[in-house]
Amino acid sequence: MEIRPILSALMRNKTGPILVALQVAISLAILSNALHIVKVRQEVVSRPSGIEKEEEIIHIRVGDLKTEAPFNEILATQKMQAQVLRAVPGVVSVAQVSQTPLSRSGRNSGVAADRKQEKVNTGAGQFFTPDSLVKTWGLRLVQGRDFLPTEYMDIDEKNTNEIPRSVIIPLALAKKLWPDTDNYLGKPFYFGTGDTADEVRVVGVVERMQSTGAEVGERGEMSVIQPMRAISGPRAMFTLRAEPGQRDRVMKDAEEALRKAGNNQVVVRTKTMEQDRNDRYRADKGLSWMLVTVSVLLMLVTASGIVGMASLWVTQRRKQIGVRRALGARKTDILRYFITENVMITTTGVAAGLLGALALNQLLVTKLEMARLPADYLLGGAAIFLALGVAAVYGPAWRAASISPATATRGVV
Amino acid sequence: MFSYYFKLGLRNLRRNPALTALMVLTLAVGVAASISTLTILHVMSGDPMPHKSNRLIVPLFDNGPTKGYAPGDEPNDNQLSYGDVQRLLASGKGERRTAIMGIGASIEPDRKDVGAFIATGAGPTKDFFAMFDVPFLHGGAWSEADDKAGADVIVLTRKLSEKLYGDEVPVGRRMKLNGHEFLITGVMDKWDPIPRFYRVVGAGAFSTEDEFFIPLSSATRHEIFNSGNTNCTADRAPGYQAFLDSECTWLQFWFELRSASDRADLQNWLDAYAAEQRKLGRLQRNAPNKLFDLMEWMEYLKIVGNDNKLSAWLAFGFLVLCLVNTIGLLLAKFSVRASEVGVRRALGASRKEIFHQFLVETAVVGLVGGVLGLALSFGALALIAMQSKALTIVAHMDWVMLIVTFAMAVGSAILAGLLPTWRACQVTPALQLKSQ
Repeated sequence: MEIRPILSALMRNKTGPILVALQVAISLAILSNALHIVKVRQEVVSRPSGIEKEEEIIHIRVGDLKTEAPFNEILATQKMQAQVLRAVPGVVSVAQVSQTPLSRSGRNSGVAADRKQEKVNTGAGQFFTPDSLVKTWGLRLVQGRDFLPTEYMDIDEKNTNEIPRSVIIPLALAKKLWPDTDNYLGKPFYFGTGDTADEVRVVGVVERMQSTGAEVGERGEMSVIQPMRAISGPRAMFTLRAEPGQRDRVMKDAEEALRKAGNNQVVVRTKTMEQDRNDRYRADKGLSWMLVTVSVLLMLVTASGIVGMASLWVTQRRKQIGVRRALGARKTDILRYFITENVMITTTGVAAGLLGALALNQLLVTKLEMARLPADYLLGGAAIFLALGVAAVYGPAWRAASISPATATRGVV
Repeated sequence: MFSYYFKLGLRNLRRNPALTALMVLTLAVGVAASISTLTILHVMSGDPMPHKSNRLIVPLFDNGPTKGYAPGDEPNDNQLSYGDVQRLLASGKGERRTAIMGIGASIEPDRKDVGAFIATGAGPTKDFFAMFDVPFLHGGAWSEADDKAGADVIVLTRKLSEKLYGDEVPVGRRMKLNGHEFLITGVMDKWDPIPRFYRVVGAGAFSTEDEFFIPLSSATRHEIFNSGNTNCTADRAPGYQAFLDSECTWLQFWFELRSASDRADLQNWLDAYAAEQRKLGRLQRNAPNKLFDLMEWMEYLKIVGNDNKLSAWLAFGFLVLCLVNTIGLLLAKFSVRASEVGVRRALGASRKEIFHQFLVETAVVGLVGGVLGLALSFGALALIAMQSKALTIVAHMDWVMLIVTFAMAVGSAILAGLLPTWRACQVTPALQLKSQ
């Protein structure tokens, strides 16, 4: 391959090639980082919540128009409301619950493996339910059992701090509290630390149960399920599973049934689990979408730059190409010349781009707390731009190769 | 000469139409990307009360437990407890004072065609309205006596008033909130500060607006719990009074100073207050007591997220790429006109004239790119606004951004045109003429 003559031809007129190489470098630096961020976000978005078939789940909040009512009256109302929901056709299972994963609203508490510790081990979302979340949400028990009917408590929060002693926790919390063992049943832990911290014991471990915030990292996997109905006012939330494909109808019917049962003196708000999930990850999806758009545009602009410059060079060198052809160069020789030239420029750009990508990533890591770029994104990006370079130059190169020697040498350019 | 060159530039757009179109399009896309992300950043980081933001002060001190605390740790929470807030309200420091809680409450309209619903609002003191320059359409804020008595009075936003009463003026009427009768003292005119700085903790800076305001004292009298973040570090006795007496933090506080120079005085007072509380056995962490003015508070709470900064950075990187691309394309466009330059130079045009002409031509490209970029950024912002309610609030263009767009498009095109223009001037007339 005649690399030397191509190189010396390039060196004689540097501006154009430098501009093309610069474009490749900038694009590569941005693209590799952008695609990596997209992948990191996609991984965050696709983490499972622990709830089976989320598309069948509906959350319903009910509130009374009056805020004052005695405990017993509220308790009776809430039990009645659960019954009303169970009677709606198409409802598979209903559970009253204090908060739901991904909804970004709820109660948290610090939990500690030992009350004598200085600090708690972690914060965890507190899910209260007087029903079976294992059943309604399809949580997978990996150890122990679901709550027994005798463990459930109805608690008047205005007058007592009492809590039931049994809890179900997800595997991630169990591992966090007791890293040295793998049998967690019957183990005690504490809400807070110190002498007054409440002690509870594990009766079951579920595979996974995301917290309300679904935070990135282990904090998003920390939650505690407690068998209780905590009443501090006349409002309640129910979560229910509808038969497959029946969700939207069930949601409407359930809302109507609750209103009717409450004599229109209640406010009802419904939301699907799917909506919660979309709301939680909207920003991540938006950013990914924006980065993908920018990446596509980057490649288009770079490709157009290569095509534009290569076309110009072909026009400028019509005469030389004609002469070469007349002296016996084949079409493939001309084609090869332009492609080799382009590969040389693109490779220079890619080399600079790799450094640029690392520098940009360093900036993103230190200034914006983004993730570090793995090597395969650099290699992948480099491959993409080398391929893009060849593809972009192919058209102009082919046109150059098709120049007929006779017209090229005759014409005045 | 300028207008002639300008017309020439316009006419020359038609020369190498493919190349020119590519140039204009590239420039437009680059400008649109950076303008739309910049607009969002600009709106997010804007000062919602420029004329007094340095007099609006948030106090922050740490009432967290000493256990597990090391000096220099972040404060336990960005809000204050009810007890502290009551004492700050009574302090008489600054010109105005307010504490704010979030409230979710049921509203039962008189109109039968509107069903009962849950509305979100806030519980401040009467100073809130004057402090944040809330405009009133009808009526006004409640009185200090109402604050003292925990009276059931309410201020509605224009939107909620129209939903409940249509065109009627509802001031003086009573409405049902959480089953209690509240007297309407005022209806606000449109008031939509961005970011929503006054209750960022718990409510968010770009959330939907609060629909009503009732006195904090009325909300606590009705035992309404805060709708937002509530942070309790220790067990407390059951019941609402115990909640008020506890160290739970759930309220935000604002001072308005008469002048920004009173800040040192307020800091001294706050330090003295904390020292006094320490003697009573509270605030044992002995952490620094901080004051933030409005913009410092926004900065402290990181209102402009890293994702927004990332978008803007990458969009600008993209703009740089577009500019490099434009330089290349302009170079291509100008280089085929060497003979034209040769003839003009031979006929007596100076280098300066040629430079002038090509630069004007470049500016024309920039102008066309700018106009197209502007149209594209409107499209981009509309797309972004469709993503969520919060983004609808921030994704709108203002005059500042409009001017910036144009300046940026034309400026960057001229910048990109400098090298190709300079190269075009270097043509030696004799060589060009000889080769013809």
